[in-house]
Amino acid sequence: MTTVAPQVEIGRSTLGESVPRKEDRRLTQGQGVFVDDVKRHGMGYLHFVRSPYAHAHIASIDVSRAEEIKGVYGTLTGEEVAALTDPFFQIAGAPGGQIKDFSLAVGKVRYVGEPVVAVVAETRELARDASELVEVEYEPLPALVDARKALDPEAPVLHDDAGANLMWEGVYEWGDLDAAFAEADRVVRIPELHFHRFNSTPLECDGALVEYNRGTGQWTIHTNNQFPGFAAIMMGPAMRTGLDKLRFVTQDIGGGFGNKITSHPQLVVCCLLARKLNRPVQWTEWRTDFHLSMSHGNERWFRETEVAVKDDGTLLGFRTKALDDAGAWLRYEPLGGVIWAQVTPGMYRWRNIRVDFTQVATNKAPVSPNRGYSRMQHLWFTERVIDIVARELQLDPVEVRKRNYVRVEDMPYETPNGCVYDSGDYAQMLDIALDLIGWDSMNDRRADAAARGKRLGVGIGSTLDSGTNNFGQSRLINPELQFSGNNEVATVKLDIFGEIVVTLGTTPQGQGHETTAAQVVAEILNCSVDDVHVRAGHDSYWNSHAGFSGTYASQFAVTGLSAVKGATEMLAAEIKKLAGAVFGGVPADALELADGGVRIKESPDAFLPFMACGAIINANNAGLPDDLGVTLNCRYVYRPPFQVPDVERKFGNLTLTYAAQIHVAVVEVDPETGYYDIVDYAAVDDCGKRINPQIVEGQVMGATAQALGAAVHEVFSYDEDGNLLTPNFYDYHVPHALDMPRLQTGYVESPSPFTPLGTKGMGEGGGAGIHAVCAAIQDATGAVVTTSHNPYHRVWELLEETA
Amino acid sequence: MEVTVTVNGTAYERDVEPRKLLIHFLRDDLDLTGSHIGCDTGNCGACSIIVDGVLVKSCMLLAVQADGSEIETVEGLADGDRLTELQQAFSDHHALQCGYCTPGMLMSATALLRANASPSDEEIKKALQGNICRCTGYWNIFEAVKSVAR
Amino acid sequence: MLLREVEYVKPSSLADALAALAANDGARALAGGQTLINVMKARAASPDVLVDLNGLDELKGIELAADGTLSIGPMTTYAELVGSAEARARPILGEVCAQIADVQVRNRGTIGGNLCSNDPTNHLPPLMAAVGAELTIAGEDGERTVPASAFFLGVYMTAVQQGELLTRITVPAGKRDGFAAVTLGVDGTCIANAAASLDGSLRIALGCVDAVPVLVEAGSPDDVRAAVRAAKLDPPSDVHASGAYRAHLAEVLAERAARQAMR
Repeated sequence: MTTVAPQVEIGRSTLGESVPRKEDRRLTQGQGVFVDDVKRHGMGYLHFVRSPYAHAHIASIDVSRAEEIKGVYGTLTGEEVAALTDPFFQIAGAPGGQIKDFSLAVGKVRYVGEPVVAVVAETRELARDASELVEVEYEPLPALVDARKALDPEAPVLHDDAGANLMWEGVYEWGDLDAAFAEADRVVRIPELHFHRFNSTPLECDGALVEYNRGTGQWTIHTNNQFPGFAAIMMGPAMRTGLDKLRFVTQDIGGGFGNKITSHPQLVVCCLLARKLNRPVQWTEWRTDFHLSMSHGNERWFRETEVAVKDDGTLLGFRTKALDDAGAWLRYEPLGGVIWAQVTPGMYRWRNIRVDFTQVATNKAPVSPNRGYSRMQHLWFTERVIDIVARELQLDPVEVRKRNYVRVEDMPYETPNGCVYDSGDYAQMLDIALDLIGWDSMNDRRADAAARGKRLGVGIGSTLDSGTNNFGQSRLINPELQFSGNNEVATVKLDIFGEIVVTLGTTPQGQGHETTAAQVVAEILNCSVDDVHVRAGHDSYWNSHAGFSGTYASQFAVTGLSAVKGATEMLAAEIKKLAGAVFGGVPADALELADGGVRIKESPDAFLPFMACGAIINANNAGLPDDLGVTLNCRYVYRPPFQVPDVERKFGNLTLTYAAQIHVAVVEVDPETGYYDIVDYAAVDDCGKRINPQIVEGQVMGATAQALGAAVHEVFSYDEDGNLLTPNFYDYHVPHALDMPRLQTGYVESPSPFTPLGTKGMGEGGGAGIHAVCAAIQDATGAVVTTSHNPYHRVWELLEETA
Repeated sequence: MEVTVTVNGTAYERDVEPRKLLIHFLRDDLDLTGSHIGCDTGNCGACSIIVDGVLVKSCMLLAVQADGSEIETVEGLADGDRLTELQQAFSDHHALQCGYCTPGMLMSATALLRANASPSDEEIKKALQGNICRCTGYWNIFEAVKSVAR
Repeated sequence: MLLREVEYVKPSSLADALAALAANDGARALAGGQTLINVMKARAASPDVLVDLNGLDELKGIELAADGTLSIGPMTTYAELVGSAEARARPILGEVCAQIADVQVRNRGTIGGNLCSNDPTNHLPPLMAAVGAELTIAGEDGERTVPASAFFLGVYMTAVQQGELLTRITVPAGKRDGFAAVTLGVDGTCIANAAASLDGSLRIALGCVDAVPVLVEAGSPDDVRAAVRAAKLDPPSDVHASGAYRAHLAEVLAERAARQAMR
């Protein structure tokens, strides 16, 4: 791995050092506790009966044969769910907001794999056996699979309550489009671009073990849901219970990538059955279940795109019609209809933009956030536009990018829609990436490939990784919503023997939060990282939980670590206050923290170890001043500096930080077959101050691998009847060890001026890989690449086009 | 049916249904939850273990087929609290993120290094092809394995 | 992951295995299990009885006769074949087996299982057809030998009938073979493949384009594409390839396999 960057001056601090991860010891020994590892006495295993039809009326359900089997504890049907719960709260207003979404199908099924009945039995095998005896009579209806046909008058309608398949629509327009197109030398027209349906397929699927306490009416939900704050506000009202009755517990999560945000319907089913059957209920989602039903990424079409450009490649503006396929239910949608607006002009100085955004329902699995959620689709679009414009104008894609990138001297840069890009030097990043890939020798490599009968192509993917949402952007979707801002919590305390104990509000899935949080705490308390105990996982009973707690949307380095910083600074101040009192009235500024305790700067022998501090406050506090006000247990809620966006103009700062990535891919295409290898790859990242570079680089690599998989192989593909054709890892090919290209990484550090540590959230910049591969294939084949998914047969078609 | 196995040196005897997969037997019957399940089709390798010296995916074997065998799983790699060189290398090289694939990955790498103490880069990749990781992109895993190759 | 109920028997001789298979129409032989167990997980198949062939030494092993003929026991794993000194007499066998799936699958999966499952995307059916292998099938009433060209009958169907087992794979001497494939990722599932063998003329077997390997003959590599076209292939379309793309690949891969055989 090559690292190209100016060395950052690091003193004694571990901030910026790749300290070993605290998580690794347990995880390398098989001692992690993942959701399926949790067991309880007498628990029953839940299996879902799922719809074999994409669209059908449910004529009848008979569970009697299943319930007769010895060892079957009970069942739950949609009818019971409709009686026991209210429909889930909808983010959308009308029409999408009128649909009635329950945790099991009620009256109708709308996609293959939709849960219809739940069966609970003594063993996993028996639950599945019994589910085969549930008799469901369906009356099939025509299926709607192609979003482009959703608004046709003859299209089958999924949700009668909404009247049609339109779920949400909105027009976004900023700047002066007429003037931009009048000024343009050329208008580049792109009839249709398609961003395909896939997701990150975390290796661990969803799951839960739910216990119901009859005495208190409280559910304990052991689950790998990655955004319990969201799950709670969905589940509580539906279940007609206060959120305090829903306790979410997690230790280790086997990958999330956004795909584990919307498991709330399945969790509700587990809760209802735990109460109904008076026993713990365990649910493990298997791979096929996950592929059929969970969190597909948003499929999006961009139609009738027009780009106003000058002959020299200066970009003035664009307009496009975005059509988003939400699948059968709006589980997190239509937020995808606005999240993209965080990166409206991509990395470019487009000032005049119009996007007509339409979201429709189809008979496919519901979409939900997936790494790069909604921004990746839009950034793929902007990158495609750049390369198509460059091709049409016969300009170098590097030059078009550099001419139009937001410049370092423009930072912080306000986009046409009021977002503020905090810092960064995109042109410099591109230069580093080109250098890593050996741009100057590319002509030789082309010739070398040609001599071997291959066509070489090079492509650039520039991308933003916007992090720390302003939830106020939801009001651009539905002005009635009462969400805005963001928050995260941390608690840092000194325990009775002086242990430093940190509790986070986050639900990490491999991002190393225990480690980076400890680095921040150690920095402030001036102690060793090893002395900081960060609790593994999440428990909403720990009182380190706020409305937006969770791990999603590239924000831990900002929200999570800022909360840790705030809480630790409070603790440091309290330690000094306590020591000042113990030392007989020494002011705080005469004290310093060092060597696992606090001492008087001028007379270091006056030293109070943390152990003494913890013991005094917790167990030996007689005689302390009445007004001391020290608990050594400090909770801090970090709240980013946001305003509520202007709903009328759709204007405002939608996200706090903008990490950036620039990738370059080199492909070699076999012109006879369309088969291609990615033979070389460079990724350059800038996420501001890096607390733990190894963890950051790990995120860059992982996101890159996911992008390469998505670009070449991964797709949730449906036939015309709505059957998923890629329901497992056999047909949904994710990259394997042999599929990986040589990778070189580089980085730049442009600290964010807007965050307490100079950090930017990151981890979702991998979309750049899709952009780069598309551009490389365009370069190699000479044909315009119009879809984000380019398996070999698609490349062969492109070759045929240009033959 | 009666099944007798030795796992990481400990003998177990259990009565199991013939249809039970070995991975479920390890996880649910023996409470050895270090080996994981990531797919339905034998692709992901999260359940990789060593049976009588041979690396296999324990989701494609019935528990009854393992009767009489010596099984090694991730729980048996470390010597007490002392990690193997390979486990330590995984941490040093940040070869794991969520850690869900890690047990299977470690077993595959362990099997490789037993058979071939000095694998080439290509041999390392080939040896790990049956293990899917969705977090790391594999590059750091290659580095970790390479670092302990002789 | 959760199979239907099934009985399990582990016979200690071939005769016992054949008897167990003959005794129950719902019995199925369990070889490496790298396909069958997965099918059972999906509950797409649910045999009443699994007759485990692991442990039948008479179905294992590779013998090399003086004339170069290889006799391969169907319970030989891919890994065993790849590591076999004898099998190097026909190098293509090991080369192809080393590309199948991954280490773990190669450690369990068997040559016989690959042939008897006859998934159209499998590597070995076209390879065995091209090299002119002969397959010995045993039942309680005795045994018979069929050429590979007559062994594969349809998708997942072979000449091995209920109550029978494939007991031997005989591969004649030869070295001039080729194999080419376009796979889903490196060494992944075949989207299309072709095996070629030079034995006087070129015999080429095309995989993934029909229910069974399609055999074509050609005088030289230059004639191969025309020979494939003359076969008027009508390959299936699926999520990985259109029929037209497969038909095109069949031509390209057939020629590549042929050129490899001519080297």
